[in-house]
Amino acid sequence: MRFPRLVSRGFVPWVAVALILTAVVATLMPGSAPVSAAAKGKIVLAWHAGFASRWLDPQEHDGTATPDNFFTAIHDALIKNQGTQLYDHLALAEKFTMAPDSKTATFTLRKGTKFHNGDPVTPQDVKFSYENYRGAKADVFKRRTERVDIVDGSTVRFVFKEPFLDFPFLFGTANVAGAAWIVPEKYYKQVGADAFKQKPIGAGPYKLVNHEPGVKVEMEAFDGYYRPVNVKQLVMVSVPEAATRVAMLERGEADIVYFVPGELISKVGKLPGVTLAPVLSGSFFVEFPGFQDPKNPFHDKRVREAVSLAIDRKAMNQAETTGLGKVTGNWINPDVQYAIEWPEFPRNVDKAKQLLREAGYPNGFDIEWLTPLPTFYSRGERLVAQLREVGIRARMQTMERGIFLQRLQGGLKEFPGVQIILHGARIGGSWSFWYEGHFKCGGFNSRDRICVKDLDGKFDQYERSINPAERKKLAEEIQRGILENYYLVPVFRHAFVNAIGPRVALQKWQDVFPTITTGYAYPWEDLKVKDQ
Amino acid sequence: MARFIVRRILYSFVTLFILSATIFLIVRLTGDPVALMAEASARPEDLERIRHQWGLDRSWPVQYVTFMQNALQGELGKSFNYRLPVSQLYFQRLPNSLTLGLAATLISLLIGIPAGIISAVKVNTAWDNVAKGIALLGLSIPGFWLGLVLILIFSVWLRWLPTSGAGDWRHVVMPAVALGWYFAASMLRLTRSSMLEVLGSEYIKLARLKGLPDFVVIAMHAFKNALIPVFTLAGVNMVVMVNAAVIIEVIFAWPGIGRLLYEGIFQRDFPLVQGVVIMAGFMIIAINLVVDILYAFIDPRIRLAR
Repeated sequence: MRFPRLVSRGFVPWVAVALILTAVVATLMPGSAPVSAAAKGKIVLAWHAGFASRWLDPQEHDGTATPDNFFTAIHDALIKNQGTQLYDHLALAEKFTMAPDSKTATFTLRKGTKFHNGDPVTPQDVKFSYENYRGAKADVFKRRTERVDIVDGSTVRFVFKEPFLDFPFLFGTANVAGAAWIVPEKYYKQVGADAFKQKPIGAGPYKLVNHEPGVKVEMEAFDGYYRPVNVKQLVMVSVPEAATRVAMLERGEADIVYFVPGELISKVGKLPGVTLAPVLSGSFFVEFPGFQDPKNPFHDKRVREAVSLAIDRKAMNQAETTGLGKVTGNWINPDVQYAIEWPEFPRNVDKAKQLLREAGYPNGFDIEWLTPLPTFYSRGERLVAQLREVGIRARMQTMERGIFLQRLQGGLKEFPGVQIILHGARIGGSWSFWYEGHFKCGGFNSRDRICVKDLDGKFDQYERSINPAERKKLAEEIQRGILENYYLVPVFRHAFVNAIGPRVALQKWQDVFPTITTGYAYPWEDLKVKDQ
Repeated sequence: MARFIVRRILYSFVTLFILSATIFLIVRLTGDPVALMAEASARPEDLERIRHQWGLDRSWPVQYVTFMQNALQGELGKSFNYRLPVSQLYFQRLPNSLTLGLAATLISLLIGIPAGIISAVKVNTAWDNVAKGIALLGLSIPGFWLGLVLILIFSVWLRWLPTSGAGDWRHVVMPAVALGWYFAASMLRLTRSSMLEVLGSEYIKLARLKGLPDFVVIAMHAFKNALIPVFTLAGVNMVVMVNAAVIIEVIFAWPGIGRLLYEGIFQRDFPLVQGVVIMAGFMIIAINLVVDILYAFIDPRIRLAR
């Protein structure tokens, strides 16, 4: 190939200079990360419930496994759960260290990170976000933190009053607390908390374009994000009716739909180009309120074991999630710190009857109420039927969610006599949050319905300990103690079945739902539409 | 006349007051909203803090007085769930609900009135039986079922209409049909009975005796008089459709007031439920007031009798 004329006219040097200049300008230009150029297409997510505006403000995280679906798009945290990392994926922080004595945690901010309004993310924003945080577990953070120091222009140090070993788990798990999620101090103060919920500004991969409270959240790729954002527009629409969500998927109006209920799973699985995403979610387990009372039939370990033997877990999983859930041995999800593996509990009706005979109940006995977690009433009905096979006769009690939560908070007096509760829970971070919430005497959910002093004693020891090896040992001992004694009886791990439409690029469903600690499709920036 | 109007306005205020007290009490009988506003693991002190923040720790009478004081100034409180003034939320959704309500009213009138007239004119014929069948189906087919069937046929199979949400006219068609269908049936029945009553009256017989053509008798004499109760019902129906199309709005993810009410009920969002119910009540009372006054103008016996 020849370029004599071009060379002779000095064209090549000019081109070289132009290219160099372009490269320099592009590098210096704000928000010139590789993101915006590549971002294209649109993804519509059909959300399965209403939207609460508070879910757009991490400062008021309600402690449920719901707001993280929204936080992870608009906001970002210093560290977070992402992919297979339970809590320590480096996000706005490029470095994170816990002191060996667990009395300080130091974060170095990633350089050049910005909020959607162009303001830089500063240590002062981190300090404000932490000190102003008033959502779930805020009291724990406040009680245990002495101060937050701004070390330099990019470093923040949290100084604790005492060793705080659980700090990273509480801090970095988006479906537990929101203290790690950074809001812009100036804007937050300027507009106030309520207005912030309507028009939040964050440092996440997507910036808000339009918010119709309770209806729709429209977002656009933020080109100042530090990671590539592949899809230009992300729209989340609230569609409470499952059949409508499925119709949207069929018609191509939605690309991802959350929560396909059991009766629609097989239909959705057959739709051309649609991929089911059965994300393993919460664990379901049986609780015996007040079993510590010697007059309660469940005081006898053999009776509790008989209940476990009566449960047909595989059938339950098959019927409730078309087998997409998982029968597991532990009531605590394996995706949290120190959760132990435990063999699957067997089903043996004959042995269950024998145990009941040995315990003095040859003809079984009656239970006042069996109460399933709302709205999983069909699971309660199946459990009632399975228990009846061994002679335990229960009536099912259905409650509206608010009433159920209220009665849980009321403790044992709300569940008098002989009762069973079929619980379901998904708690991130650490096994200890499960124990604290659902087993500890006086715990948030367990209240006075469960009291096992020796295990609570060990748990106190665990909480006091600053030796990780000792903590791990105690955690395992306590979990074994619960399972060996059938204090709580695991049933199965629920599948939160979602569906992905044909426009979304994927090899397998885990490409869209890669984060094992959630049922949602984040990190959003990694989603791609086909031909990208 | 002035006394009549003043009296009716006073009655309206009393009704509104009773409605406000009733809804205030009923929402509180559903339980503690704080259980749904806090995390499941919230401690009692957290619950107390939230209760205090929203003024729920005060006695019911105090809460009611505060609520009424604010309501009289046009402020219906702030939604627990959305952290926005209820009136703002209500008026944000109102245009969507009005669109749906108007479209559904139109459908109910277009189906109900002609079918009702035909049914009355052709009483005890096959036409009448078909109309009665339509009325029966309209009243007995649940709206949610009809909605899902419409989505299946027109969105999924034929791909003519979008499944849900609000946007252009195509979004309105299915929810309006699903909502208007039930009201069309009630409109049909009322038109039929009203027409039958009018057709049996002396002045219609006289018109026929005078040799007027059937079309003129029905269209010019009977229909006009039979319409009064029909339009009265249509007005009230429309207020109901605007404010309480809960199921249809949920099925079609229609961002209207009915869905707002649904979300408020599920979240025990007291201010939101109170606000929506009071606004709906206010509309119904206002429409009835206007209708009463118009009746009194038209027919002096009404105002004199009272």
